[in-house]
Amino acid sequence: MNPGAPPAIAFREVTRSFGGRAVLNNVSFEVAPGEAFCLLGRSGMGKSVTLKLTIGLIQPDAGTICVENDNIVGMDEDGLSKVRSRMGFLFQSAALFDSFSLHDNLAVPLKRLRNKTSDAEIEAIVQKNLDDVGLGKDGRKMPAELSGGMRKRAGLARALMLDPSILLIDEPVSGLDRVTASEIDDLLLRVRKRDNTTMVIVTHDTREAHRVADRVGVLDHGNLIAIGGMDELATNQSALVRALVSEAE
Amino acid sequence: MRKYLDFIGNIGLFALRAVRRALVPPFEIQMILRQIEVAGWKSLPLVLSAGFALGLVLALHTRTTLVQFGAEAEMPAVQSLAFFNEIGPLLAGLLMAGRVGAGIGAELANMRATEQIDAIEVLSMDAFKLLVIPRIIACSIVLPILTVFMDAVGLAGGYLAERVTSDLSVQLYISRAFHNVSWAAFVPPTFKTAIFGAVIGLVSCYLGYTTDEGAEGVGRAATNSVVISSLTIILIDVVLVKAIFFLFPETAI
Repeated sequence: MNPGAPPAIAFREVTRSFGGRAVLNNVSFEVAPGEAFCLLGRSGMGKSVTLKLTIGLIQPDAGTICVENDNIVGMDEDGLSKVRSRMGFLFQSAALFDSFSLHDNLAVPLKRLRNKTSDAEIEAIVQKNLDDVGLGKDGRKMPAELSGGMRKRAGLARALMLDPSILLIDEPVSGLDRVTASEIDDLLLRVRKRDNTTMVIVTHDTREAHRVADRVGVLDHGNLIAIGGMDELATNQSALVRALVSEAE
Repeated sequence: MRKYLDFIGNIGLFALRAVRRALVPPFEIQMILRQIEVAGWKSLPLVLSAGFALGLVLALHTRTTLVQFGAEAEMPAVQSLAFFNEIGPLLAGLLMAGRVGAGIGAELANMRATEQIDAIEVLSMDAFKLLVIPRIIACSIVLPILTVFMDAVGLAGGYLAERVTSDLSVQLYISRAFHNVSWAAFVPPTFKTAIFGAVIGLVSCYLGYTTDEGAEGVGRAATNSVVISSLTIILIDVVLVKAIFFLFPETAI
């Protein structure tokens, strides 16, 4: 992290409603380059919406969202596409393409976005990314043949294909047993250490936040009610924040 | 009422977006070819078997009626005109709405529900261009071709029915079948199915691509794709038949 550098991600007074219900209400926060920032909260509190806003899949009703100094609010598809090429996204369900093998799931973004990369180079990059997540021998498998943990690892490998400087991760360990969840956390820590990738991780698993994050923001009913290190949050005046943080202990 | 007007307005905007995006490169030729295989090649057995059976049944019914008027020699001509003008185009369209429309609606709705469409977007690819436009183009290319096959096997079914009851030779059957058929009676009805195909692709893609109801929406998108595209092509057929009569008056006689 470089404290003097402009933020990798900046939310300023962002509001978003669905069907008249405010899912995010005047939310502001910044994530520094290279920082791992965790958004913590119960289900349905606006965490995943925050990630989708960050990558422009949905637009806010009000406020600005800057990604590496580009304001993505109201940006056209071509502009968004350029911003997204610097970001990776690991979906909660991994969102692998059903009709493609694991190998092709990883190769597709490279084939389509890097026309100058040769087939041999693409093969090498795909194999390296599969090896990195421990799926080096599973490239020919179809997504339906993978377990939950393997799907998450495959999703992570695909998210890293374009060497993103920012990685957005939605519930990386939900639905996984403790051992597999710990393996996923190890992977995230390794990626961060190796590439100095900025990470925004949405989770309701306090233990994971404790392990992976530099700072944590707590969302409750669309409001960012606390932000800081886990130690700071442990003494927060909100009982909900203290209860969430104490779950990790 | 407002719900229906909203639907029509939204599908109109979706169609405009499709036209605009279709004119901008890249043209996704590989995806179009893949969809042509899915919509065309894999629909062929259904179209051939349905067309042959219907041709046979239609000929059996028609012959009984024509015999009463001593006009059984006209059976091949009736068969060809019925298939070329209406049965071939409409039946091929309805079969495609059932098989391909349901498939497109369910596939895209499933991709939406499992965040695969979002995944395409976040990988900096244009999901609309990649998923919607190739399907619409493929449907409008494939349906006229399937219609020609439907017409051909319909005539073959008709010949089989004729052969059972008379000694009519193949040459004479074909000669009588095509005796009164001008190009104007064959080409416009066949090519109107390109519009049917575009409608099936458009409606099914719209319902699948824009669903936001999760797993429940997958079944609904599939069902509605069949119902709405079938109904729409029947309604459009009324307009197109009148348009063909207006543009090619000899076909109305």
